Amino acid sequence: MTDTDDQSLPPIKNRGSKILLGAMARYGTIVGLGVMLLIFSVLSPRAFPSVSNFTNVLNQASLAMIIAGGLTMAVIVGELDLSVGFNASLAGVLVTGLIVQNHIPIFLAIIIVVAVGALIGVVNGLIVTKARVNSVIATLGVGTIVVGLNFAYSAGVPIVAGVPEVFKEISLGRFHGVPHNIIIMLAVMVLLWILVERTSIGQAIQAVGGNPAAARLSGINVDNIKIFGLALSGACASLTGVLLASRLGSGTTSAADSYLLTAFAAVFLGSATLRDGEFHVFGTFIGVLIIAFGFNGLNIFGAPTYSQYIFQGAILVLAVGLSSLGRVLAES
Amino acid sequence: MSDHSNISGARSAPPFLTAKSIFKSFGGVHALKGVGLDIQPGEVHGLVGANGAGKSTLIRILAGLERPDSGQLMLDGKDIVVENAQKATELGLSFIHQELALVPSMTILENIMLGSKKESRMGMVNWPAIARKVEPIAKRVGLTQPLSTNCSKLSTADNWLVSICRALVHESRLIVMDEPTASLSAAEAERLFAIIRDLSASGVAVLYVSHRLDEILDLCDSVTVFRDGYLVTNFDKASLTRDILVEAIVGGAVESQSIEPQDFSSAEVVLAVQNLSRYPRVRGISFELHKGEVLGLGGLVGAGRSELARLIFGADKKDGGKMMLNGQQYRPKNPSAAVAAGIGFVPEERRTEGLILTKSLAFNVGLANLSQLQLSKFLPLTNQRARSKLAHDTIAALQIKAQGIDAPVGRLSGGNQQKVVIGRWLARSPDILILDEPTRGVDVGARGEIHRLVRQLAADGMSVLVISSEPDELPDLCDRVLIMSEGRIVRELAGDQISRNAIVEASYAQDLAKTA
Repeated sequence: MTDTDDQSLPPIKNRGSKILLGAMARYGTIVGLGVMLLIFSVLSPRAFPSVSNFTNVLNQASLAMIIAGGLTMAVIVGELDLSVGFNASLAGVLVTGLIVQNHIPIFLAIIIVVAVGALIGVVNGLIVTKARVNSVIATLGVGTIVVGLNFAYSAGVPIVAGVPEVFKEISLGRFHGVPHNIIIMLAVMVLLWILVERTSIGQAIQAVGGNPAAARLSGINVDNIKIFGLALSGACASLTGVLLASRLGSGTTSAADSYLLTAFAAVFLGSATLRDGEFHVFGTFIGVLIIAFGFNGLNIFGAPTYSQYIFQGAILVLAVGLSSLGRVLAES
Repeated sequence: MSDHSNISGARSAPPFLTAKSIFKSFGGVHALKGVGLDIQPGEVHGLVGANGAGKSTLIRILAGLERPDSGQLMLDGKDIVVENAQKATELGLSFIHQELALVPSMTILENIMLGSKKESRMGMVNWPAIARKVEPIAKRVGLTQPLSTNCSKLSTADNWLVSICRALVHESRLIVMDEPTASLSAAEAERLFAIIRDLSASGVAVLYVSHRLDEILDLCDSVTVFRDGYLVTNFDKASLTRDILVEAIVGGAVESQSIEPQDFSSAEVVLAVQNLSRYPRVRGISFELHKGEVLGLGGLVGAGRSELARLIFGADKKDGGKMMLNGQQYRPKNPSAAVAAGIGFVPEERRTEGLILTKSLAFNVGLANLSQLQLSKFLPLTNQRARSKLAHDTIAALQIKAQGIDAPVGRLSGGNQQKVVIGRWLARSPDILILDEPTRGVDVGARGEIHRLVRQLAADGMSVLVISSEPDELPDLCDRVLIMSEGRIVRELAGDQISRNAIVEASYAQDLAKTA
């Protein structure tokens, strides 16, 4: 028993492969992003690796980033939010409607719309925590109601005429050459990161996602934290919808619906990044970049539109696979 | 002691299962450093050791859930490789874990046959024929419920019986039982022991893993002791005493630490509970908890003690009654209200209710102290320095063995995990600390440390409510003991009255009265 040094241990056989697998699960997404950038740069040295293309990709990715960042808040507290796409579409219609038809000042209109988005999140949260409805069902139901409200408000007709240039400028303008969207996106992501990683609320958010029973018995109000997470998800979704309307110069009934899939793919890719199957803001950031650059590459090489769907669906499945692989390895 | 491979010898029959020089490491941590084990056919073999000694790892290797880094496994003298759980079953090895692998919504019969080949007729499972075969087995282990009963309706003890039936259906030659009595009452445990002896007599070997040394001494034909991943020694029943066993587990004699109970009846009342109820488990409970007092709640599993604790902590809603905390009306809406009012709670199930296993020690300790760790009252940013200081202080104060404050708590041993759950409350210095089974699944050494800590906290003025199903534990800790039975307080023991026998006797008084 006195002999506790480990030098006499026999060589360990399958340790190498396990470490390799673990590394693949943790750094796979980042390495994948790097390899993808490298391949695209080599194959298309003129079009791909340029400042203007990268700026363009980031600009395009900004909206997906914000909605995925919000969704990250929902999944960290352990709930899925399927209403984000519909929520964002409503926000686009509502913000243009308020500005064009009700002549509400742009700034105020945006605040109202983001508040509505957050409110939709709160409704999701109340249904999930108080009525104990599974979040998939709750947010699918609420999301469908939101679609209905959207059609009721707009009658399905896009609001195009009379959208002021100032409103379009929010998304299209640049600050010292950097598109506004990128700046807004970075600000949102940094704030979310600080919230989750560096605040007491963030600790509570992570605890609720990790083990709600233990969080509750540590004195954390689990229901409130879940509602808060879903409210943030809703607020970010509506901000995305506002920026999309600004970029399109119109409020269109189902403009943002497709962000749902992108956001989920990014969030799950992110959970396979650096941490073993845990959702986190920086991971989501990487996840969105992978999807955005992937799309960009497909475009540059003239891949047909349908390939984007195949790419995105495959990424989603791959991401969830990587994420659960990470979790399995973390447990062993 | 340095001779790991020597397994004491003069046995007539060759062992039926042998494990030799097993090494296993996880990441950089060496869990097993050359352990071994010999099991004779039909013997009850005890496996003991502190948490983290490597018992579970060896069992997982036998079960095919882990592969050893090196070493040899032999069955009937032939080398075997257990690649997966299915292979273990084929080899005749069955495993019953603390968390039973039963599907609650399925019937006894379906659970027993889970994963085994089922007799079928015209492509459909022939349940009546299977039932006829299983019935004698169920009878043999004393399972009295009809086989069509859902497992969700069974007690923990009956669920154990179902698991044993499953092992017998597979014609297992070895059944490994991990902490079988942890959630059984004494009567249920006795029933299980009878079944184990019966199995043993009919040639089925049992590898019995437990922290409860009295059971080991009583039941086992031979005992293997692990410590820190090494094989310490192997005992025959004849050469075994409790002291020898404890010394082998801990690596030194443990001082006994019975206490002198004090009378707090004239001390300030911190918590007064009046007629508190939540039916059917808690029925009109009244008691007072005094400042600096350690009050024990004894009784059988299912007596309503944990439910009472949850009511006090605001985790469940009461049906009636009232509570006064420091002279004020106290109605906790939820646990966070209870925490704010100055109560800390260490739940019974530390892995599922106490800890977030994937998160770090610092994270888990910080959970109950989030507002204290903020940079300022109005800015919810966490003070990272204060957070790591809190974690380091907790490690030092409770002598937690951990690889730094950022290692996931899931990797710590049971005793150290329990210290983390307790430690999270200490920084808040709550007026009342409720401990539900504070040393369940905790090794002898850590148990002593936790007991000392509780006494120290009480000496510093904290009031402590301790729930324990081990009659040995409360006399080591408590100034006063309340015995609960069927949701009511049936006896109060104070001063010299507190003893193991008095607690056991009072716990069963109700049962005895009923059968009489």
